[in-house]
Amino acid sequence: MKKLAALLLAILMVATMMAACGGSGDSGDSGSGSKASTITVNIWDSNQQAGIQEIADAWTETSGVKVNVEVVDWDNYWTLLEAGASGGQMPDVFWMHSNTAQMYMENDLLLKLNDYIDEEGLDMSKYYEGVKDLYTRSDGNIYALPKDHDTIALLYNKAIFDEYGVDYPTDEWTWEDMYEAAKAITEGSNGDIYGMAMNTSNNQDGWYNLVYAYGGKVITDDHKGTTIGSDEAKAGMEMMRKLLTVGAPQSVVAETGTDSLFQSNKVGMITQGSWMINSFYTAEFHDDYAWALLPYADRNGNGTCETDERWSAYNGLGWAAAASTADPDSCYSLISYFCSEEGQLKQAELGVTMGGMTGVSDAFANAFEGMDVSAFLKAEDYSLYFRPYTRNTTVWEDALQQAGAFLDPWQNPDDAELMATACDNAQTIIENAIANE
Amino acid sequence: MKQKALKKKRTKAEKREAVWALCFIAPTMIGLIVLNFYPAIDTVWQSFCKTGDFGKGNTFIGFANYLKVFAAGETWHSLWNTIKYALIEVPFGVVIALILAVFLNKKLKGTSLFRTIFFLPMVCAPAAVAMVWKWLYNQQFGLLNNVMGTNVAWISDPKLAWVSIGIIGVWSVIGYNMVLFISGLQEIPGDYYEAAEIDGATGIRQFFHITVPLLSPTTFFIVQTRIIGALTIFDLMFMVMDKTNLALENTQSIVYLFYTYAFTNGNKGYGATIVVFLVIFIMIVTFILQRAEKKLVYHP
Repeated sequence: MKKLAALLLAILMVATMMAACGGSGDSGDSGSGSKASTITVNIWDSNQQAGIQEIADAWTETSGVKVNVEVVDWDNYWTLLEAGASGGQMPDVFWMHSNTAQMYMENDLLLKLNDYIDEEGLDMSKYYEGVKDLYTRSDGNIYALPKDHDTIALLYNKAIFDEYGVDYPTDEWTWEDMYEAAKAITEGSNGDIYGMAMNTSNNQDGWYNLVYAYGGKVITDDHKGTTIGSDEAKAGMEMMRKLLTVGAPQSVVAETGTDSLFQSNKVGMITQGSWMINSFYTAEFHDDYAWALLPYADRNGNGTCETDERWSAYNGLGWAAAASTADPDSCYSLISYFCSEEGQLKQAELGVTMGGMTGVSDAFANAFEGMDVSAFLKAEDYSLYFRPYTRNTTVWEDALQQAGAFLDPWQNPDDAELMATACDNAQTIIENAIANE
Repeated sequence: MKQKALKKKRTKAEKREAVWALCFIAPTMIGLIVLNFYPAIDTVWQSFCKTGDFGKGNTFIGFANYLKVFAAGETWHSLWNTIKYALIEVPFGVVIALILAVFLNKKLKGTSLFRTIFFLPMVCAPAAVAMVWKWLYNQQFGLLNNVMGTNVAWISDPKLAWVSIGIIGVWSVIGYNMVLFISGLQEIPGDYYEAAEIDGATGIRQFFHITVPLLSPTTFFIVQTRIIGALTIFDLMFMVMDKTNLALENTQSIVYLFYTYAFTNGNKGYGATIVVFLVIFIMIVTFILQRAEKKLVYHP
């Protein structure tokens, strides 16, 4: 008897172990539409957490399903999501980004939203076209709803401009004007304060915009090529090189980050995206900060800015759900609330981000009392390009930031030859990456 | 002959015992197989594949990944970076720990306090340690430059960064090595020292002629485990070095390279190949060390 009991016990022990291992993986498979009590939402931006949670709580009031918003920082977000996708354990609802959307859509990891959209009668034409297209697969299936859109502007520190007697940036500034101002600050302070700062990793919010302003393209419109090695792009990067000669050295920005340098009053100007406003709005010296339109490139030399001489990147995140979620109905309900007019307005009013839907962003400009952020909205009157992406963006995007590409000229901006070579290298890197996709 | 004797038929009781033995080691075995052996074998398999996204659609491509890994300059550069790191961490980590252990093995006031202080780095999460050092080293606002009144790019100067990283490694590992040395020191019988003292040997002579040889098995163990540990270093570089750091090329370890390919770029097959390459390298090093053991370690 004793032996039998011992054996049973042993079997029981092993069985519980197995159950413990397997159990957590099961939750995603049922898919029977049983109502979940809590939905897990993953995002990467802690600046937006409070606002997103507030909107989600409003949804909870009607649905009765609790929403748990978790923040995982950008670098780890994708590592975790990919590991989760391979192992069948994804969060229920999460953000999608242009870098990876195609890969996730092609592998059917995201919940297909078409049926829900048809059922609800959602008008997809209300959303920004580039964002909407990004999350629509080539076969017409939709895998995410546009959450927001963002643009880029120039951020400057009025106190520093005052101290060195430099005029504030205006909406008529060219990139050359920015160079002169940065030079005046850097030289005026004997290098104690830098006129501007830009890291090689400031691409979407930084040097990409110069490439486009001077007529180059980081990724062509069909997402199959690049003109970064062209003379136009080289002219843009040559301007960039000039800016770097009067900006913070690479060894400084790689250690401290341009945002931190700016907030420590060490840098006069940086370019930044609208998703970062909150971080500067709540910073210690926010009274000194002001935003202006990105400078333009006066390519035809007539002294005024044509529409195609000022370019800002724009990008939009998408709200997606895991195909494996236990409660797809609630997930869609939450997503569609986030992207409904009510949710989008709330998002703008709370100052989380500008909308993925057109016409809701005016409220955003008023969300920051005492700080004029209209430059981000004005940027839309000129040319916008969607954040360059291909199927596997990270591969070439990371390579461009490192040695063998733009880190070389950034390290040594006095050598014009290096920048031209880096553009040629970048052309090869992108072409090879696309060929291997 | 001996083996044949062992193969004698088992009695019933022995068989029953064997079954129970299997039952009891089963949980550990299953754990090892599922969590260690299977992933290891799968990694080797993946290194021969062009891997698809999310672990799906792997296609066999033979040695193509290996040819690429061997041909890539960055593989060898990273391996050299890793060896450079080991060249700082292992010798300094061992020598400093040994000296500390000898002092802290004496009956002095406050030894346990100092032992705790030196062991503390082992208790801290490596990521936290790296973050703190990153701020100490910061060129603009770091404590180090502020206190010394210098303006050194500790972690951005390609010529210096590998030393800075190595120092963090030494600092982190001293406590662990020291505890092992102390336990080794306590194994040495006091008679040797008494005899030496009667013969008139000084403290330093005693150290080199009694402590060092009798401690050599412990030293060898520490050196061997630390070499393996140093060759698989990743967290320090990952936490301290930004992706756009000028010195990254001269400091990134081979595991960092693996991480970049396997997780950032999503190329699991190429990443797996780098890991297999590293495993083979470590096996060679271990083999050489094992051979050297007989000559280096003193067996009384």
